[in-house]
Amino acid sequence: MEVREILDVFRAADPAALKEKYLAEGRKIVLTAPVYTPEEIIHSMGLVPMGVWGADVLLKRSKRYFPAFICSVVQSIVELGMRGTYDGASAIVIPSLCDSLKVVGQNWKYAVPGIPFIPMTYPQNRASEAGRAFTKAGYLRVIRDLEAATGAKFSAQALADSIKIYNEHNALMRRFGREAGKYLSAADRSAVFKSAFFMPKEEHAALVKKLLAALEGEKPLSGPSVVTTGILADSPAILAKLDELGLRIAADDVAAESRQYRTDAPETGDPLDALAAKFAGMGCCSVLLDPEKRRADLIVDSVRETGASGVLALQTEFCDPEEFDYVIIKKACAAAGIPLLAVEVDRQMANFGQAETMLEAFSERLG
Amino acid sequence: MLTLGIDIGSTTAKCAVLEDGRDFRAVSLRDSGVGTDGPQAAFEGVLAELGVSRRDIDCVCATGYGRAAWQDADLRASELTCHCLGGVYVFPGLRTLIDIGGQDAKVISIDAGGSMAEFVMNDKCAAGTGRFLDVMAALLRCPVDSFAEAAARSKSPASISNTCTVFAESEVISQLAAGAAVEDVIAGVCRSVATRVGSLARRLDMREPVCMSGGVARNAAVREALSEYLQVPVLFDERAQLFGAMGAAIYAAKRKSKE
Repeated sequence: MEVREILDVFRAADPAALKEKYLAEGRKIVLTAPVYTPEEIIHSMGLVPMGVWGADVLLKRSKRYFPAFICSVVQSIVELGMRGTYDGASAIVIPSLCDSLKVVGQNWKYAVPGIPFIPMTYPQNRASEAGRAFTKAGYLRVIRDLEAATGAKFSAQALADSIKIYNEHNALMRRFGREAGKYLSAADRSAVFKSAFFMPKEEHAALVKKLLAALEGEKPLSGPSVVTTGILADSPAILAKLDELGLRIAADDVAAESRQYRTDAPETGDPLDALAAKFAGMGCCSVLLDPEKRRADLIVDSVRETGASGVLALQTEFCDPEEFDYVIIKKACAAAGIPLLAVEVDRQMANFGQAETMLEAFSERLG
Repeated sequence: MLTLGIDIGSTTAKCAVLEDGRDFRAVSLRDSGVGTDGPQAAFEGVLAELGVSRRDIDCVCATGYGRAAWQDADLRASELTCHCLGGVYVFPGLRTLIDIGGQDAKVISIDAGGSMAEFVMNDKCAAGTGRFLDVMAALLRCPVDSFAEAAARSKSPASISNTCTVFAESEVISQLAAGAAVEDVIAGVCRSVATRVGSLARRLDMREPVCMSGGVARNAAVREALSEYLQVPVLFDERAQLFGAMGAAIYAAKRKSKE
């Protein structure tokens, strides 16, 4: 297959159509909310995990559950749930990784009673022995609730097998993240990351492998590039503007993109302990406790390694964890002499004039 | 070589024609912006003043909110880049430019070489923009052009603490109901804009010299309040509102000279 043909498959991964396809095949779907859910467990139980990160929709019905100043990602998840977009799903797993997510879990029970809410409660101090035990207890709760909601059964061996599949996919996505900036537009790059939340992992991994092989014969793109950071980077208008300006995404530190694939679970020992070890080993993320805030160094290092011209911070409006980290990232970039632009985005944006002007000016500055 | 910059803003349209990248030969300004006949009138006006036609212009660069809609452009550039170029042309050695336009406010940090180093823009609201002053002018029944004169008569500027235009409107009404003099309220409104934009400027590594551009720069009360808030002199030139168009003409000249 040619590069464009493969990319078209990623772009065609429509979550609504895929949901209907899985249901028609008699498969059970479990929704996974941001930022990190133990997808491997869901996969190992023969269920289909589908990521829900909201959508660019007008918020109407969900407003009764939220104040005005709360992240529109979680608001739009509830909005879609109330509209019936997720109907047919057997459950939703919502982690407790930020204040908004803690709230959404409780509201979900009343707003979308037809889809059972399964909490995944993570510890703040995830690396200690007690932290790992706490995480494992959270996984056991998820397993119990999944069994009750779907009738599926958990087995340690199946989880060990799923961990291998996910680790292989992680490695491919890490490689894709490094290669994509050289050859692909921002919109195409985004389509590959986004489709990973909807397509079966084995299928997605096989397609990414094909794409990476096909890219080897491609001519690298020229022009300036940026490292993106933030929760989401899937706004069609922003991506189109980046492509219009010829700004490539050399690498990313985006929660819905590369942050998902940085850490593997060990493939030895008890698989639930391995998953807890994976969570313990994760970091450089606004919703994961890190007193040293190594995320800023990671971004600076990414710029240096890829030769990017600057950093584009796509800040989700009202996302406190990202706003706290931004100050540290800004200082680190300034100290390293790296141009940085922050553009505020949300799921309710209708007018992109200001964002486009800022991107144009940033592009002109990068030359 | 003649290059023309056209700056199509939300409330005004401006044009400037530059000769050989050095001297401005003509400028024009119309008080109607994007979506009106203002840009065409400004364009035709500047050509008529110079006695030339479009064919005589080597390159047209459009900037401003309406830049994408101007079909007759050879180039387009963001208003940030253009205001920076215009500001440095008028004030060589300029290090900070504060542009308050009809619907947004921007602060640009300029490096020693005259290039844009960093910038910030206002949030997606009217606070700290020309629109905020327009709303207050309608409420106070005093033209914006008279604000500076009225504010100069103020003995005790009123405190307008709300930065949101809608809430500030209520606050102004409350101040008037409590017996505050109109000139004191106007001075308070100007200070409110200065505080809002000044806080934006403080996010950057602000260095002197500092100048203002955009339509609000004509308002001496805002300039003085901004200078007082930032504790630095704020430079002003009568062409402040034309910096965007001038910068677009300079941008076009630079691009043409590279060809």
